[in-house]
Amino acid sequence: MALPVLICDDSILARKQVRKSLPETFDAEFKTAGNGIEALQVLRTQEIGLVFLDLTMPELDGIGVLEAIKAESIDCFVIVISADIQPEMQRRVMELGALAFIQKPVSEEKIAGVLKQYGLV
Amino acid sequence: MTNLGFTVEQKDCLQEIINVAMGLASDKLARFLNTFVHLQVPSIALVGANHIPAEFSGRYADTEAALVSQGFFGDEGVRGEAIVLYKMDNAHRIAELLGYEPGDSSEIEMLTDISSVLTTTFLNGLAQQIENSLSYSAPRILSSRHGNLSDVLQSTSFHWEHALKVDISYQLVDHSFNCDMILLIPDVAVSRIKVILDRILEEF
Amino acid sequence: MDHSWLSHPILARLNSGVIVIDDEYRIVFLNHFIERHASMALAEVAQQSLFEVFPDLPEAWLKRKLMSVLDLQSPAFSSWEQRQYIFKLPHLRPITSSSQYMAQNCTMLPLLDESTQQNFICILVEDATDAFVYQQHLSKTLIELEKANRQDGLTKVLNRRYWEEQLKQEIHRAQRYQHPLSLILFDLDKFKDLNDKYGHLGGDFVLIELSSLIGSLLRDSDLLGRYGGEEFGIVLPDTNGQGAMDVAERIRKAIADHPMLFNQQTIRVTLSIGVAELDPHHHLLHDDLIREADMALYNAKRNGRNRVCQFETKAVSRKLAQS
Repeated sequence: MALPVLICDDSILARKQVRKSLPETFDAEFKTAGNGIEALQVLRTQEIGLVFLDLTMPELDGIGVLEAIKAESIDCFVIVISADIQPEMQRRVMELGALAFIQKPVSEEKIAGVLKQYGLV
Repeated sequence: MTNLGFTVEQKDCLQEIINVAMGLASDKLARFLNTFVHLQVPSIALVGANHIPAEFSGRYADTEAALVSQGFFGDEGVRGEAIVLYKMDNAHRIAELLGYEPGDSSEIEMLTDISSVLTTTFLNGLAQQIENSLSYSAPRILSSRHGNLSDVLQSTSFHWEHALKVDISYQLVDHSFNCDMILLIPDVAVSRIKVILDRILEEF
Repeated sequence: MDHSWLSHPILARLNSGVIVIDDEYRIVFLNHFIERHASMALAEVAQQSLFEVFPDLPEAWLKRKLMSVLDLQSPAFSSWEQRQYIFKLPHLRPITSSSQYMAQNCTMLPLLDESTQQNFICILVEDATDAFVYQQHLSKTLIELEKANRQDGLTKVLNRRYWEEQLKQEIHRAQRYQHPLSLILFDLDKFKDLNDKYGHLGGDFVLIELSSLIGSLLRDSDLLGRYGGEEFGIVLPDTNGQGAMDVAERIRKAIADHPMLFNQQTIRVTLSIGVAELDPHHHLLHDDLIREADMALYNAKRNGRNRVCQFETKAVSRKLAQS
């Protein structure tokens, strides 16, 4: 059965890049969000198995989304994909329950590595 | 000017490429300078080069400032000039930042050295993503301390039709240091960049 | 067509230096330009440390630069304008230059050997001696120009414009720091007669002669300028009215006692001198101070020339320093 996946990034290009970098064998049904508010609307109303989450976004940033997911006990895996790789930011993201942190630009290798590690492919 | 404007998709694409280039540069600089460099998400805008002097001379009006320029050129007609602006209150921190011993280097040399490091690191990250590679001219100091920033900017931007203004603020965790970067790009190169952006957009 | 054969002859004939080092700064390659200018052969120095082969290198600074090339995989630059040279090589020019070493623009480029993934650095050394020499000439000319811009062409003392500027600044300084300041204005007596008798060349000769004589009587901080045709001014920082009167009297006497020899003729000249002291509480403009010194000078003339008068605020009294 296809895994419901949410790609959340304010950049259209970045969203496309994530999708393009996923392995062909990865059976998923994609939803997208352009900022944190949109992402939470989807997460609160639909079953989502995996979120690819950007950190720097308008309205509500990635940290805000992670905090809401934790506070509301929303059940999903989150992989953060960010250009901002400050160590304290990475630490905070992991503390908030993210599965992995991928530095932009994304590539098939980077994403495949993480998916394999967590048995998602 | 209007025909040179980016479409929404092109601007989104360029913004993302620049954000990622900042992240890559930030990572490399942190390792090289042994201090975390926070590169703020830059705002980009394509403006007439003639608007540049007024804007920046205003921002640097109440302080001594220095301006360093470095030309870049790559495949497919990508070329331009990167200008880095500093407030001179920062100057004494640069030696420390670069790991130079006192007396190793003159103030002007330190400014050109740090500019070159910041400019090439950022632009290399940008080039990498558009599968280009850039060559650089040696950095040149256009004015320092007593020079009139507005006049220098005026005479520099005069040679260019357009400026892709990328406001980059470099902030260091344990050194208070920041500067601005402007990329000046001629019409021809702007058109080439749009072609490249369209190609990237098609790939995804 | 395969162009790979080209690189060897081009590198050999290139009129710039090419040095390649590995990531531990050991020499991998030198082209002929470097071999010849540094009098060394690649075979002898290969695998040796760059810093041992060129012991004059600014090691700490250059290592940091080279490290940036390796770490950031970005080029680094050095310009002769900031650092005349990195490699101490003789230049081969017959022209005279203040330096016997080649001025250089250097570029340090990252290189990657794809097959071994080993990093190297290519250092390009461009000879910029010509530019360096031109720059030196230019700087020298600019200094001379600036001097000419301040000088009176005939007497080589300060010209009026620059002298007045200096007077303004000195007054400002004296007011700010509450230091005394005095002004001397003097005029050559009967200059017209002198010109009539000895011709303009004779008049010019006298002006030159007295400028140099007076210059030798002053401190470095005193400012002697030509105010008009035969009228001169001296700004005396840190000097009160009495001190200025002493200086003025010394000048008057020196000129009066100094016969000048022009075309086998002896010329004797005298000066009338006016002195004014800055009153910091009145915050005088420089024009006011000049006017006061000028009034004192007028009194010296009116009272028979060859004398010194000081301006006094209360009743324009005369203070004759010499009968």
